[in-house]
Amino acid sequence: MDMLLSSPTFVFIQVLNSISLGMNLFIIAAGLSLIFGVLRVINFAHGVFYMFGAYIMYSIAQDMELGFLTGVIAAAAGLSVIAIVIERGLFQWLYDKEHLMQLLLTFAIVLIMGDLAKIIWGTDQLSVSYPEGLSGATNLGITFYPTYRLLLAVIGPLIFIGLFLMIERTRWGRLTRAATQDMEMLAALGINVPVIYVTIFLIGSALAGVGGALASPINSPTPGMDATIIVECFVIVIIGGLGSLWGSFVGALIYGFVFNFGSVIVPNWQDVFAFLLLMVVLLIRPWGLFGKPEREGH
Amino acid sequence: MISTLRTTVAAAALIAVSAGVAQAEIKIGVLYPIAGTGAVYGTPAMHGNDMAVDEVNAAGGILGQKVVTVARDTKLKPAAAAAAAKELITKEGVKVLIGGLSSAVGLAISEVAKQEGVVYIATIPKTIQMTTEKLHKHVFRTASHTDFEGDAIGQIVGKLGKNSVCDIQLDYAYGHDLAAGIEKGLAKHAPSAKKVMDLRAKLGATDYNAQITQILGAGCDVVTSGLWGSHFVNFAQQAKPFGLFDKVTYISGGEIASHEIAGKMGKDYPDNVISNTYELWYDHTFPAHEKFQADLAKRSGTKETAMWPVLAWIGVKFYAAAAEKAGSLEADKIAAALEGLSIDTPVGPRTIDPKTHQADAGQFWGPMVFKDSAEYRVMNPVTYYPAKLD
Amino acid sequence: MGWSMPRGVLISCIVVLVALALIPVTESRYLIDITTEIMVYALFALSLNVIIGFSGNVSFGHAAYFAIGGYVNAILLTTYEMPLIISFPLAVVASGLAAAFVAYFCTRLTDIYFAMLTLAFAMLVWAIAFKWRSVTGGDDGFVGVHVPAFLDDRVPFFYFTLIIVAVSIGILWMICHSAFGQTLIAVRENLTRAGFIGVNTRLMRGAAFVVAGTFAGIAGAIFAMYNRGVYTESAFWTESAQVLIMTLLGGMYSFFGPAIGAAALYLLERFANEYTQYWPTVLGVILLVIVLVLPEGLVGLAKRIKARLAGGS
Repeated sequence: MDMLLSSPTFVFIQVLNSISLGMNLFIIAAGLSLIFGVLRVINFAHGVFYMFGAYIMYSIAQDMELGFLTGVIAAAAGLSVIAIVIERGLFQWLYDKEHLMQLLLTFAIVLIMGDLAKIIWGTDQLSVSYPEGLSGATNLGITFYPTYRLLLAVIGPLIFIGLFLMIERTRWGRLTRAATQDMEMLAALGINVPVIYVTIFLIGSALAGVGGALASPINSPTPGMDATIIVECFVIVIIGGLGSLWGSFVGALIYGFVFNFGSVIVPNWQDVFAFLLLMVVLLIRPWGLFGKPEREGH
Repeated sequence: MISTLRTTVAAAALIAVSAGVAQAEIKIGVLYPIAGTGAVYGTPAMHGNDMAVDEVNAAGGILGQKVVTVARDTKLKPAAAAAAAKELITKEGVKVLIGGLSSAVGLAISEVAKQEGVVYIATIPKTIQMTTEKLHKHVFRTASHTDFEGDAIGQIVGKLGKNSVCDIQLDYAYGHDLAAGIEKGLAKHAPSAKKVMDLRAKLGATDYNAQITQILGAGCDVVTSGLWGSHFVNFAQQAKPFGLFDKVTYISGGEIASHEIAGKMGKDYPDNVISNTYELWYDHTFPAHEKFQADLAKRSGTKETAMWPVLAWIGVKFYAAAAEKAGSLEADKIAAALEGLSIDTPVGPRTIDPKTHQADAGQFWGPMVFKDSAEYRVMNPVTYYPAKLD
Repeated sequence: MGWSMPRGVLISCIVVLVALALIPVTESRYLIDITTEIMVYALFALSLNVIIGFSGNVSFGHAAYFAIGGYVNAILLTTYEMPLIISFPLAVVASGLAAAFVAYFCTRLTDIYFAMLTLAFAMLVWAIAFKWRSVTGGDDGFVGVHVPAFLDDRVPFFYFTLIIVAVSIGILWMICHSAFGQTLIAVRENLTRAGFIGVNTRLMRGAAFVVAGTFAGIAGAIFAMYNRGVYTESAFWTESAQVLIMTLLGGMYSFFGPAIGAAALYLLERFANEYTQYWPTVLGVILLVIVLVLPEGLVGLAKRIKARLAGGS
C-alpha cells in the first residue's frame, strides 16, 4: 500500500476520488445543514428523501426512459412536494417543542416513507445507467478519470456558489439569516416567517432529492440506502458545524479525504476513524469547525 | 399504577387465549426477512416456500397431515429472529424451523433450536461456523458454504491460468470466510497463482473508488470477490469507467450471476465476469427444473424467475422427506432421518452429510455474456460445480 | 417524598410482583418467555429514564451499556468459564465504568451535542464489537453462552430475572427518590439555576449517566444469558432508538412509565409481527401519536383520563 502512495498518479486519483465523493455528499449534507440552520430541526428523514430522489430517478430515467436530466428535475420537484406536505402538515406544530420530539417526528417519517418506498418500488435490486455520453473516462493528461465523477465534482461547487449567493447576496437570504437569529423580531417586522420556513425546508429537501438522483448511477436505489447516507451526513455537518454552509462544504471534503486515504492507510478502520474525528470535534468545538456556539436555552 | 395492572392483566389474558388454540395440522415455522432491507431476498424465498408446501399438500401432506406455513419476519436482526423462533415453537407449536438469512440470524435461530430441541434447516446462511464449531444435533444446512464457493473460484482461476490475484471482500463474516475459502481453493487448484492484494470494503459500502484505484495500481490479472447484491452493482458501475473490467477477469461468489442482478442491470452489467448462482431460470441442466420453473413463473407472474425461491423450496422438501422417512414428527427422529438423506431437486441431487449436517449444495458457474437477448446477460456456458472438496 | 414508597404505589408493586411470580404456574412456555423479555426491556428502559426523565439529557447511545453488560458476562462465562457470581458483577461494573468514561466527556456538552456524542461513543462500541472478531465473534455474534446449570431451564431463569429486575428497580426507585434524585430533577428543570445554588451540575449529570449505564448493563447481562448469545446489533443505534421510544411511549416524567412503555411496545411489536409486514409503519404511527398527542406518554394519558373523570363526577 505504501508503494502505491509513493506513486503520484495514484495519489492524484485518490485526491479526485476524495473530491468527487465529498462533493456528492456535500449536496445532501448542505440540505440537512440548511434546514437545521433555519428551522432548528435535525431532520433524520433527510436520508429517506435522498432515497426517494434515487428511486424517482430510476422510475423516470430507467423505467420510463425520459432522460437523465428529466430525472433530476423530477426528483427535485417530487421532494419539493413531499417537503411542503411534511412541513405544513407536521413540522409546523413542533417548532416550539423540544429537540427530542422533533427528532422522533422525523424518525417516524423515516419509518413510514421507508415502507412507502417498498410499496411503490418493491424490494428488487435496481440499477440506473449513466447518462448518455458520461459513462466513460476523460483524459486528464496524467491519467484517465471517470467523466461522471468529474461532473459530480463540478456540480457540488456550483451548488455551493448558488446557495452562497442566495443566502449572502439577496434580500431574501438576509431575511433567512435573520430568521436563524431571531424569528420573533422578524415576525414583528411583518415578515411572513412560515413562508421562509417552508421555502428553506423545500430547498433543503430538494437538495437531498437531487443528491440521490445524481448518485443513483453509482449508488443503486435499494431499500435501506437511507441509513448509510444519513450517518455520513451527520458526521459531515457536525464536523463542519450545524447550520453552516461553509461547514458542510469543508466537512464533506474532509470526509471524502478521510474515507479515501483512510482506506489505503488504515484499511478497514476508516469508519472508526471518521467517528473518532467526529468525537474530537464534538469535544473541542461542539458547534463544529464553522458553526457558531448556540445560545443557552431555546 | 392501576393502569399498569390493567395493561398487564389484559395482555396476559390475551396471550392466554391465543396460546390455547389446538392444532390439527403440521405447522412449519418459516423465518425470512420480509420487511426492510432483507426483503429483497425474503419475499422471493417465501414464494419458493409456499410452492413447496402446496406441492407437499397436493401429494397428500406429511404422514397424511396437511402442512401449514407460519411465517415470521426476522427483520435481519438476530435477537428478533430468536424471539420469533421461540414464539413459533412455544406459541404456534411448530415442528421445525426453516429459513434464516445472514450468518448472525442463522446462528441465533440455531441456538434456539438447540435449546428447545427442535430441528432447524438453514436454507440461506453460508457461515461455516454453523456446521463446524456451532454444530449440534438439530441443525442442518441446505445452503452452500464459503469453502465450496472458494474451491470453485480456485478451480476457475486454475483453468484460466491466471497468476496474480487481487481479492476484494466485504468486511464481515461472510467476506472473511469466503476469503479463507478462496485461499484454500487457490492453493489446491491454482498453485502458481499469487495473491497480491487483499481489500475489504464495509458491509453496506456505497463508494468503491479507493479500492478500485488500488486494484488498478496493483496490476493483477484476476479479481476474486464476494460482493453481492447492491454492493456488486455499485462496484461495477464505479469500476467500469476506470476500465477495470477490460483489464481483469472478475470471478465472484455471492450469486451475482443470478437473474435478479443480471436482469436489473441489463446492459450495464460489465464484461469479463464469471460468477455463480444456485439456479438459473433458463437453464435446465437437471430435468426437474423445467416444471419447477414453469410453476414458479406462474406463481410469481414473471417469465424470468428469481434464484432465492429454490433454496426455500429445498428446505421444505428436505423436511417432508425426512418426516416420511422417520415416520414421526419427533425432532430426534427427524434429525436422524436427515442425516445422510438424499433428495432430488430442480438444481441437482442433494445429500446431507451425516457428520457435518451440510448438504452438498452445488452451484452453477460461468461467464456472463449476451446470448439470445441483447437486453440482459446470461450465463453461458453453464457449468455445474458439485459441492465436493476432495 | 423520602425513600419510602407511597402506600398506593407499594401495594400496586406487590400486586404486580405476585402476579408475575405466578406466571410460571400457567405452564405456558410462551408466556414465561415473553414476560422474561419484557422484564429485561423494562429495566433497560427504566435505566435510560434516569438520564432523560431525571437529568433532562437525551442519550442516543444507551444500547452501548446494555451490549457491554451482555458481552462481558457472556465472554467471562463462556471463554473464561467463570462462575456467574463473578461474571455477572464484573459485567455490571464494566458497564458502569464504560458509562463513567463516556460521561466524563459527554457531560461537557448539553442538548443535541450531548446526544450526538453519546451516539458517537455507542457507534464506537458497536464498531469494536464488530471488528474484534476473536473476542466478540464479530458480526456472527457471540453464540453459545454457557449458562449455569441451575438456570438452564426457563422457569428458574424466569425467577432469576424477576428477582434481579425487581431488586434493581427497587434500588433505582431509591436512587431517584433520594436527595440525589431530587437534585437531578432540579438540574433538569433549570440547569443554570441549579448551578447558581451551588449544585455541581456536571457531576450530577455524570452520576445519573453512570447509574443509567450500570443498570442497562444488568439488563444486558441477563439478556445475553436468556438468548445464549450477544450480537453486534445490540449496540447499534437502532437499539438505542428502540429503548428511547419505549421510555417516551410510557412517559418520561413518571418513574414506572418507561416500564409500561417497554411492555406496551414489546407486545405491540410481537403481535404486529404476526399480522403485518409493515411494522415500521406501525411504529412510525405510534411515534406520531406520541409526538403530536401524547408527549407525556401512556402515563400522562392515564393521568389526563383520571383527572377528567374526577372533574366530571
